Parts: sequence; C-alpha cells; structure tokens
Amino acid sequence: MYHLYLVKGIGGRIGFGIATNIKDRNKHYSSHSGDIVTFPVIYGGLRSHAKAIEKTIKNELSDHIWYVDDWKTEWLDKKYDETFLENFVSKTIEEKHCKLKIIHRNYNFTLDNS
Amino acid sequence: MPATAASMVAQAMTQELIYQTVPRKPNPMVNINPLKRGSGKTVTLADRVIELEKTAAWKKNIKQWQEEQTLFDMNRLPKVARVPLGDLLIDEDVQRPLDEKHCAKIAKPGPFDPALLQTLQCIKRSDGKFVSTDGQHTGAVLSALLNAGVAGNINWKTFLFNVQYIETDDLAFARRAFSVLNGKGKKRQSAYQLLRNDVYIIRIDGNTSDEEEVIIEKKVSIAESNECFPVEEDSPLCKYPSTFTNIATFKTMTNEEIDLSTKWHNKYFHRDPIHVSLFFIFKDLCRDFNSAKLPITEKLLEELAGLIQNLFVDLSQYSSSAKEAYNRWHKNRYGYLGSWNDDAYACGLLHLYKKFKGQEKLPLTLLDRFDDLINFFDEDLLNLAA
Repeated sequence: MYHLYLVKGIGGRIGFGIATNIKDRNKHYSSHSGDIVTFPVIYGGLRSHAKAIEKTIKNELSDHIWYVDDWKTEWLDKKYDETFLENFVSKTIEEKHCKLKIIHRNYNFTLDNS
Repeated sequence: MPATAASMVAQAMTQELIYQTVPRKPNPMVNINPLKRGSGKTVTLADRVIELEKTAAWKKNIKQWQEEQTLFDMNRLPKVARVPLGDLLIDEDVQRPLDEKHCAKIAKPGPFDPALLQTLQCIKRSDGKFVSTDGQHTGAVLSALLNAGVAGNINWKTFLFNVQYIETDDLAFARRAFSVLNGKGKKRQSAYQLLRNDVYIIRIDGNTSDEEEVIIEKKVSIAESNECFPVEEDSPLCKYPSTFTNIATFKTMTNEEIDLSTKWHNKYFHRDPIHVSLFFIFKDLCRDFNSAKLPITEKLLEELAGLIQNLFVDLSQYSSSAKEAYNRWHKNRYGYLGSWNDDAYACGLLHLYKKFKGQEKLPLTLLDRFDDLINFFDEDLLNLAA
C-alpha cells in the first residue's frame, strides 16, 4: 500500500506528498516542526496512482504553489485551505478513476499503534 | 453456454484493459494558442529598457558598475566601413577552413537571397589592412557569384561591401570575437522559437516558398486539429492539457504518426499535458505494425489507453514507471545502470498488454526486445494480472 497525504503545517499552511511509510513520514514532519503535525487526509492505493496524482497536483495547481525564493515547495499559498486541496484531489481521483481511497483522517503518529 | 473457469479468469484479466471515460474540460489552449496568430504587437526599444531596468539581475549589474566607478570605452565600439572585397584578408588561424559545400548550398538560385547577406566582421590592423574574423563564407559566396557574372558586369575585387570592424592588432581579440560571433555566449533560438518562425511565415506572411517551412506548418496544423499544441519549454502554458515541448521529436514524425498519436491523446488523455513518450510510442507502433503488415486497430488503441489508465492513470506516470523498470532490468541483466532507451516505452507497453491478456495481434519485433522487462515493473501492478 502506497500513500498520498495532505499535510497541515504548524502555521496552518496546507501541503501534500507521497510515502510508503506514513508513520515515519509524519514523525519527520513533526521532528522538523517541533510539534505534532497532522495529516488531515491520507489516501491509500497503488504506488503509480499516488505518484500520478501528486504530479497532477503539481501541474494543475502550479499557480497556487508556495515558492520560497525560486524554490518550488510542496505547499500551497496560504489562501488555499485543506478543504480546497481535498476537494481537488478527491475530484481528480474520481474523474480519472484512480485506485486510491481515503484510509485515514486527521492522522498523526501518536495515534498509530502499528 | 456456461462460462468455463478459464474463460472467467480471462475475462477478469481484461478488466485492466477497459478504458473508462474521463469528463472533458474546455482546454484554454484552443483560444490562447500563440501559434494560431501572431500577437501583432510591436514595442519600442524604450519599452525594453524599462523592462530590463526593473529586473534584479540588471540592478545588481549596474550597482557593480557604479561601485567600481568604471566607464566603458566608447572608442571600443565597432565602426563600419565599405571595403573593396578584393582587399580583404582572412586569417586562417582564426576562421575555419572554407566549407565549399556550404557555400554551394547557400548560393543556389532560388533560396539565395542577397538581402540575407550579413555585414562582414573584421579587425583593422595598424597597417590599414582589414582582416576578416567572421563571414568568410558570405564574402566568398558573394565574390564568386559576382565573378561568375550572375549579378551583371561587376568587378568583385573593387566591389565595396559593408564591414564592421575594430581597430586592433590583437589576434587574441579576433579569436575571441570569432567564438562569440559563432555562438559562444549567445542566446540561441529554442526549438520552439524556430518552429514558431516557420509557422508564422506561412500563417501570417502567407509565404510558402520554403518547402521545409510548409512541411513543419502542416505537422503543427495536424496536431492542432486534434487539439494538441506545441509550446515553449518551461512556459506558463505547459500546465494546460494537450501541450507538448519536445519539438525535436515531434518534427521527426510523419504526418500519419502525428495524426494517430494526437488523436489518441485527445480521445483518451485530453486532461493531461502530452508526455514525449507519446511520440516515441506511436513512432514505434506505426513503423513496426506497418513493417509487419498488421493493422493498429481501434480496439488495440482503446485497450492500450485502458491499460495506461488502470495501471498508471496517465502516460507521464507510465513513462516514469517504465524508466524505473528499465533501470532495474538493465542492472539485473548487465550489472550496472544503463542509459535510457526510448524504444523501451513501446516495448514495455506491449509486454504489459500481453501480460494483461490483450488479444490483438502485435509485431514480434516489439515483443522480442527487452524480453523480460515486464518482470521489473512494480509488484503491486503485476499482482493485478496474477
């Protein structure tokens, strides 16, 4: 199982990413941020589908991406919230018939006993 | 008739070949395609100066000039003169040897246009001699044409031609100038800009005298008729569906290959920008199916689209997955990572088609290559066929 996740930064900014091990990834965000970081939505499914949707986000939302100088990040401009991104991703998954499903909401590693 | 266990399994396998319709969205490129017509806009040099002066890089540059309190030497600006062609010298250690075939090519009646002759670049030595540092082919072609009498009764040796020169005896300058004039440090035209020029000459200027330009414009027209659009690399237009940037590969395709590939993209993957693998795949399919005298059926085209949709979502992800599989395959077979081979796009796709029980006839020439590549695709995908 591969994952496509939405991530909410400590300051409220919304971002996205893909990972095999979601628990490790969440720990990394948390250790960098100095606080527990939440993944508001995690989609699970085929690796190729998660990667394809991540590319679609980067391309179709290219005007909404947050840049640090010339560095293109995997975070959106602050005016876009998690509902906006979740709606975009879920609609894309549905319309493109992707094999990805929501498997967690409001996830963080402290809630994961696996 | 009751279905046998075998036929039920076969039926289940082909689920991955079934394409499901993706809702179509209006493509903004249909209206904003820059190749459709020129902007019709001219700007002044003053506009360009304002544009330049706004940029951080330019401001930084000027700040450095000011800090160093330097002024550039206006006397170093090139001068222009009209010099008898017979008086010009060519330094063989600076310029390339004369390319006679190149000269013959540009002097052909028809394509040769004296209006395109460029000013010769020279240095003027302290002994008053003009030494050409760039443009010997122009000078040689013009002189030889005049000598042949094709411009009337003109003595080429006394014919005055425009030169731009710097007064110096420094040959290091001449050598450096030759490199600069022949491309070093110059901003080259991109493949897209060259294509745009060809298209505009036909569409805006209505000039069809150059066969190559006509051929290029036709290819672009075919792609556009299927709502597919060439755009500049890294331009803001790249985010739109059905745009492509690999002009070099596009230009190598036949009209039929362009039509089939862009039609297929527009039918099944109209929401996505075009990945260059589309062109490589269809070039290989068209050429190998044609050689094998096999038809590329509508059923095959739809099942290939279904396969890509079900396993990879889109062609871009198929290409990434195929490259990963190819790397693993190469490492396994040869013990090291090899450079990517574009033929693996089509071969990998047809191997997958067979794996997922596709029934259409395929040319063995494509199936025989990279024969066990299929085993190196992601396990979660291959499990779907198990």
